[in-house]
Amino acid sequence: MRQAAGPRSWTFYVFASFFALFVLFLYGPMTVIYILSFQGPTGGLTFPMTGFSFRWFHALVTAERVGDIGGSFQRSIVLAVMVAVLTVVLSVAAGLAFRRRFPGSGVVFYLAIASLIMPGLFVGLGIAVGFQLLGLDIDWYTSALGAQLTWTLPYGLLIMFAVLGRFNRAYEEAATDLGATPWQRMREVVLPILLPGIIGVALFGFTLSYDEFPRTVLTAGTRNTLPLEIWAMTTNVTSPALFAVGTVTTLVSFIAIGAALISIAVIERRRTRGSGNSV
Amino acid sequence: MKAKSWLASWLQVAPVALILVLFFGLPMLVVVAVSFFDYGQGRLYPTFIFDNYLEIFASSVTVRLYLSSLKFALIVWAVTLLIGFNVAYFLVFHVRTLLWQIGLFLLCTVPFWTSNIIRMISWIPFLGRNGIFNQTFMGLGVVSQPMEFLLFSDFAVVVAYVHLFTLFMVVPIFNSMARIDRSLIEAAYDAGAGPWRIFTEIILPLSKTGIALGSIFVVTLVMGDFYVVKVMSGGQSASVASALSTEISQIQYPPAAAAAIILVAIVTLMVSGILRLVDIRKELTV
Amino acid sequence: MPTGSGNGEISIVGVTKRFGDMAAVSDLNLTIPDKAYCCLLGPSGCGKTTILRMIAGHETPTTGEIRIGGGPVVGLTPVQRGTAMMFQSYALFPHRSVLDNVAFSLKLRGAGKADRHRQARELLAKVHMERFADRLPAQLSGGQQQRVALARALITNPRVLLLDEPLSALDEYLRLRMRGELRRVQKELGITFIHVTHTQLEAIAVADLVVVMAQGRIEQAASAREIFTAPRNAYVARFMGGQNVLSGTVESAADGQAIVVDEHGGSFSIVVNGEKPVRGSRLVGSIRRDRIAVSKAQGCAEASDKLNSLFGEVHAIEYQGSYVKVTIERPTGEGFVANVLDVDFFRDPLDIGDRVLARWSAHDVLMLEGASDAGEASMDEAGGVLISHA
Repeated sequence: MRQAAGPRSWTFYVFASFFALFVLFLYGPMTVIYILSFQGPTGGLTFPMTGFSFRWFHALVTAERVGDIGGSFQRSIVLAVMVAVLTVVLSVAAGLAFRRRFPGSGVVFYLAIASLIMPGLFVGLGIAVGFQLLGLDIDWYTSALGAQLTWTLPYGLLIMFAVLGRFNRAYEEAATDLGATPWQRMREVVLPILLPGIIGVALFGFTLSYDEFPRTVLTAGTRNTLPLEIWAMTTNVTSPALFAVGTVTTLVSFIAIGAALISIAVIERRRTRGSGNSV
Repeated sequence: MKAKSWLASWLQVAPVALILVLFFGLPMLVVVAVSFFDYGQGRLYPTFIFDNYLEIFASSVTVRLYLSSLKFALIVWAVTLLIGFNVAYFLVFHVRTLLWQIGLFLLCTVPFWTSNIIRMISWIPFLGRNGIFNQTFMGLGVVSQPMEFLLFSDFAVVVAYVHLFTLFMVVPIFNSMARIDRSLIEAAYDAGAGPWRIFTEIILPLSKTGIALGSIFVVTLVMGDFYVVKVMSGGQSASVASALSTEISQIQYPPAAAAAIILVAIVTLMVSGILRLVDIRKELTV
Repeated sequence: MPTGSGNGEISIVGVTKRFGDMAAVSDLNLTIPDKAYCCLLGPSGCGKTTILRMIAGHETPTTGEIRIGGGPVVGLTPVQRGTAMMFQSYALFPHRSVLDNVAFSLKLRGAGKADRHRQARELLAKVHMERFADRLPAQLSGGQQQRVALARALITNPRVLLLDEPLSALDEYLRLRMRGELRRVQKELGITFIHVTHTQLEAIAVADLVVVMAQGRIEQAASAREIFTAPRNAYVARFMGGQNVLSGTVESAADGQAIVVDEHGGSFSIVVNGEKPVRGSRLVGSIRRDRIAVSKAQGCAEASDKLNSLFGEVHAIEYQGSYVKVTIERPTGEGFVANVLDVDFFRDPLDIGDRVLARWSAHDVLMLEGASDAGEASMDEAGGVLISHA
């Protein structure tokens, strides 16, 4: 039960404290990493902090004993962008398809759900062995790309289902009434109105790919993506450079997501409150 | 007329269907096929033998691994359900403005924008012998020696799982709860129901879908994990998937494939059990 | 460009529309003259919106033909037909300004920005919305959105404008104002308007031609006055709400009138003119509610009712401003309603439970076609005006 206004019941404070603890639980360890990445030059992997320095960030760039951070970072970004673009285009199309009942829709739906739930390791195994049997090389922009898409496409599809469910079909009929061809309808009415949802799909695609590990670990081939490189570092690298990687990679995620969310917020704001200029 | 709209749908869904078949459907069939192969000296011999399966069924290690995986799955499911349900409940029923709701929700999701690997290892300086926890507790005088069980133990594994996967429980439950029509609650209140009755008669049943979905996510993630358990237990504990990954790294694909198929079968059984409670197609689609 | 002769006459011939097993519209025939304001009136589910959408081109008839200006239009797009539709939810594009919404169809045809903006502003001025040209739809009230939707539809220069319950989203005060606006615009433009509504008084206020529908069929298509004063059958009589339905068995017929007796012994006469009803057959008639005189029954002769009178107890009294609606309980269960002028009522007000005598003149009872119970059951299902009570 919720009171519309007035003083809070005691249960609110119980739940609020619980929530606060949960947030602390989520953020605590990461904060430690962020702090430790500024570890002094002589410091180790745990506290205490011997000083404050950028030494470990420096180490990433100069690649001293820290593996191929630069290269894997670049590959991760490129791969994430490719995955995001493909996920958007394919999910939007498939989402539109599902607005009608068509033969085979059940099969595709359950295939997507199964792909979502299947442990990534097995999908990766199947792809890696399959490629091997076919005599193809596994590589980050082929087999890993395909593997990651099996993870992002179902999510994209589900988001599109939710977004299209709220979409008022009267807009399309109005467009037809005013003389729009199907292509004009899509370009002028449907896609612009769905834009926040589409950005959401792109966002999901990007971050899911950028952080992806189980599916990628067997399908990336010799050149690692960033999560794979980090995984290798957990056994090899014994310096806070590992934490510096963590901080930097988080920063990238934040920037990407921040950009997407801000653009969504701007679009929504313009549509509900801003005066908007004639286009 | 109808065939025309079917054609349009087929064309639109074809790319996704193609990718899912090529990179999910077929690879899974490959895994099935490979599970019947023979192997040796780093090579695969395509044939049809049951040996891989028989070895797994005959081995006592298998039982031990499954018990371990199931143990983790059950504990993590219970903990994430408890936490996830309460967090979702708080966000839906105690937070008043939409802005705060979205803001706090985002607050919960932000950590998930960081790679799982990093978030997992971030627990090490936290839980280690010289980590924050131990230093704090020793400083407060609660314990005189560092608590060893915090890290490289089953406890650490569970903590890491909960840290990584609770959001998968929060989101579906949040969705289900948010869809509950408030006037139902008001009507019940009007009819004289107290908070507990409202909870058991209205909120809990209507959140069933979210709980089921969240449970499916968490269970499959834990059962399929191979790296969290390895790292956080310091190699002491194992799961079915981690043993599998070891075989893979040793290029022993057929037994790994057989183990994978068996694991998938068992997880599918678990998921079907949960799905008896809810029709996800109806809930998830338009 | 539109087919046919260019005018906005619509003829619907033998049109049936099926959705699965259910027929929304059955074998419908209707001609709507050019430049007419036509209202499709009926309860939910009667098929009126389906017809509108078929004329618009958003639905296709299962069988039958539709012509506009003489040319067949089934299979043509709305623009090719020369029709434009105003949607019940207005469907203004949320991501475009008011000006861009109105100019939308011009943009689709490739008109230049300056040109289409100019035309859009002209049209906005016609609906008094030029001040809001740069706003977004979400910033407008319901009535304002409606005017923009109107402008957007009119910019295509349609010969037929289709309005899907245009006033139902507005509050009562705005509704009354806007219907005058719609009428004015229609006269000014000189095009055909087809307006779907479930509100009886709204239909007769705006329309030249009122088409009363039920369950996929047309019950009566006539001028507003004719629908109200001379309903064709019991359904229309009940639906419009201005009449009472009387029915019984024919006893005799002479001088253009039939004497009819109902099951409870009440008798009344129905004007039949040239018709010669058979003795013993059932006949149905209607009497206007405002043609009934009601008086308290204490001093009157009771038991047997005289011809063209009714004895009963007052069941409900409803003040309606210039008249008072008095419902008298009948043995059949269906209420008998008299609209008493307020001056007459308050001279000697009635109370619920009073015994009253209702009288009317013989030549005011008109004959209706068809069965006497038409409209009772269907109105229950459709949730329309419910006259009968327990």
